[in-house]
Amino acid sequence: MNLVALGLGAAAGAGVASALMGLLVPRPARAAAVGLGSAVTGAAGVLAGIAAMTGQTWSMAAPELLPIAGVFLEVDALGGLFLAVAGAVAAVAAIYGIGYSRHHADGRAPQAVLPLFVLTLLIVPIAASVGTFLVCWELMALTSLLLVLTEHRRRAQVGEAGRWYAIMTHLGFMAILIGLLVFTAQAADDTFPALRAAAATLSPAVAGLVFLMILVGFGSKAGVLPLHAWLPRAHPEAPSHVSALMSAAMVNAGVYGIVRVGFDLLGGGARWWWLVVLLLGALSAVYGILQAAMSTDVKRLLGYSTTENMGLVLVGVGASGLFASAGNTVLAALAMAAALLHVCNHAAFKTLLFLAAGSVLHATGSRDLDALGGLRRGMPATTAAFGLGALAASALPPGTAFVSEWLLLQSLIQGLPNAGIATSIVLPVAVAAVALTAGLAVATFVKAFGVGFLARPRSDAAANAAESPATMLAGMGLAGVACVALALVPGLALPLIGRVAGGIAGTQTAPATGALTIELAEVTGTLSPFLLTVALLAAAVLVVVALRVAAARPRRQEARLWDCGAGPMSARMEYTATSFAEPLQRVFDNVVQPVQDVDVTHYQESRYLVQAVEYRRQIPDRIERRFYEPVLLAVARWGRAGRRLATGSVHRYLGYGFYTLCALLIALVVMR
Amino acid sequence: MVLSLWRKIRRTGRVAEPAPPPPDAAAGPAVAELAGSVQIRHVDAGSCNGCEVEIGSAFGPVYDAERYGARLVAAPRHADALLVTGPVTRNMAVALRRTYEATPEPKVVVAVGDCARDCGVFAGSYGVAGAVRDVVPVDVEISGCPPRPEAIVAALRSLTGR
Repeated sequence: MNLVALGLGAAAGAGVASALMGLLVPRPARAAAVGLGSAVTGAAGVLAGIAAMTGQTWSMAAPELLPIAGVFLEVDALGGLFLAVAGAVAAVAAIYGIGYSRHHADGRAPQAVLPLFVLTLLIVPIAASVGTFLVCWELMALTSLLLVLTEHRRRAQVGEAGRWYAIMTHLGFMAILIGLLVFTAQAADDTFPALRAAAATLSPAVAGLVFLMILVGFGSKAGVLPLHAWLPRAHPEAPSHVSALMSAAMVNAGVYGIVRVGFDLLGGGARWWWLVVLLLGALSAVYGILQAAMSTDVKRLLGYSTTENMGLVLVGVGASGLFASAGNTVLAALAMAAALLHVCNHAAFKTLLFLAAGSVLHATGSRDLDALGGLRRGMPATTAAFGLGALAASALPPGTAFVSEWLLLQSLIQGLPNAGIATSIVLPVAVAAVALTAGLAVATFVKAFGVGFLARPRSDAAANAAESPATMLAGMGLAGVACVALALVPGLALPLIGRVAGGIAGTQTAPATGALTIELAEVTGTLSPFLLTVALLAAAVLVVVALRVAAARPRRQEARLWDCGAGPMSARMEYTATSFAEPLQRVFDNVVQPVQDVDVTHYQESRYLVQAVEYRRQIPDRIERRFYEPVLLAVARWGRAGRRLATGSVHRYLGYGFYTLCALLIALVVMR
Repeated sequence: MVLSLWRKIRRTGRVAEPAPPPPDAAAGPAVAELAGSVQIRHVDAGSCNGCEVEIGSAFGPVYDAERYGARLVAAPRHADALLVTGPVTRNMAVALRRTYEATPEPKVVVAVGDCARDCGVFAGSYGVAGAVRDVVPVDVEISGCPPRPEAIVAALRSLTGR
């Protein structure tokens, strides 16, 4: 019995059925029906994905289904991994969406599109021909765009975010299209096996062009610098369960594309490809987390953190390519396993964080950290969920990201001794970038959790926040369980991921083994996250008990908090997200280049009496300003110039057609 | 920069005046518990800043009150003694009381200057709540408007006993 076929069949059936239910079921039951249906779709995807990772394969060819191109599907281990991750995120987000969309997005269109989006997320990693892949890719972009625009009537920013997303994602699509078509032109047909066969005959220049084009396209989907601009705009404006789907599942498609085309179809390629990937990844990681650290909008912060994590994944992918091109397949498999494990980990904690942020948005109507605080009392479960997610996202020992970042650092450090000049310069830089990113991530998530959930509420909405409905809590609970499992016993997932990575890098040796204690192959390195966590917990308990015992000796006294005699202390005296990030902003002043403006108004009677002080601070995305604004200006100028050609005169347009035709005919005659 | 500082220190030498003989009697029962080290929180309850200048001078290099074990600290939670100056204005009455409550036992209150003792020239003013002893219990009083640094140092030595 082929579990892959069973899972995919179930997913397709459930997905289409839920889309129909979204259209037909009346409003009261619509969210529940679609949510359950989408959850089944996702779960079936997980089943198929895990079956594929354990070695089952399945393929389908239906040349007549889609005109000209046909539909070809094939599930292998790599596709299975991304299939499983997307399915798991979709299942959790869909359950959460039942409660969430009742107030935010239970219209007919968003509910019908959600299962379709889930379905395209599942099909993209198993498409086995260029035509099928591009159609699914475009459907994924369109359905997610529709979901981003769900709340466009309520907030004007949604429309703008949607425009950015639509344009950027289609530019990326064009780059992928060009790259894959140039590739296909050298092959017998557009199926992946034919491309694989043709890869050996490609000239290095053509292969390099193909790789650069697909890197641009897939990089823009993964939110990698400098094509990240849409991500911190579109992800926050979407409904939160859609944000989770996009940020935890859809961006992975970009990584999948780079790995699939770069390693599988093109068969590795030159060293400089992977140096570019690694450097882009390192830059994205540092820049993404820096912007996240400065951000005060919690969902925007999470969006930038996605850029950071995709950057880390690409560091792993790039390192893997470097090692593979140097012939060290075991190390390549280790770096790839680290990258793929980080994909899984990121999916788990980013889902949890976005769902918790959505729960806060649901309860308070605000995403602004400076207006939140004190949510611990009203929303204990959401606070626990966000705290767990924040711990998982910062690369500290009991956290989820720690394991994969440890693996990544191990592979980078172990790669140093047998490297060429370029590699031996780049690898230490990458190690430093990963370490800096890890440190900034801790600061970022301490800020997000401490300012957003602890201390006192800074607004009435935060003070009156109440816990979210049960389905939302269930979604967060599932994501939390996944985070804890990946953090404590990564040995559950690592053998499967190691097999996938080994398959990509072309080695039989599993890069990492062991259930409780991870042991690396061929390099010395062991890590036991479970024992580490137990030791940490034991130490924490010991300290608490010791403190209790020590503090119990003198009688405890209740005393008024020292407030400089002025009191009572108000929420205005607390650290805000802005003030917490201020020291960091000062350190990285040259990089982030904040715009600050202090305006002091005096009384007319005396210059010594201040009437009002106005302080404005803005941290614009610097890359956006330097890179996008000139391009946008040039496009606008080009458009104005083009308008002179189109005056609205029909005669003129007919003339254009006539002269173009004549010029074409003359050119044909001359060139014959 | 650092070198020139060292040179300045070497060239100047000690400028502190020779220490007068130690005090005979301690100021109160709390003093024995303080055992020669008194951390002091200064509270300006409405002073004209004349007393502040003299306190600054008492802790400066010439009178150098720190050599007798007295030290200024930044919060009442760290303090053994409060050094209160000025008549207690209505704005500062609650703050002074809270500062007193925030100071751990055993604690000593020193009222510095005539204003702190009996409101000085501000007595009867609409903004004045009273002398320091009307708001918190006072252990030591220093008279003068403003008191000379020697007087402040002498009073502090009666607390440290050194």
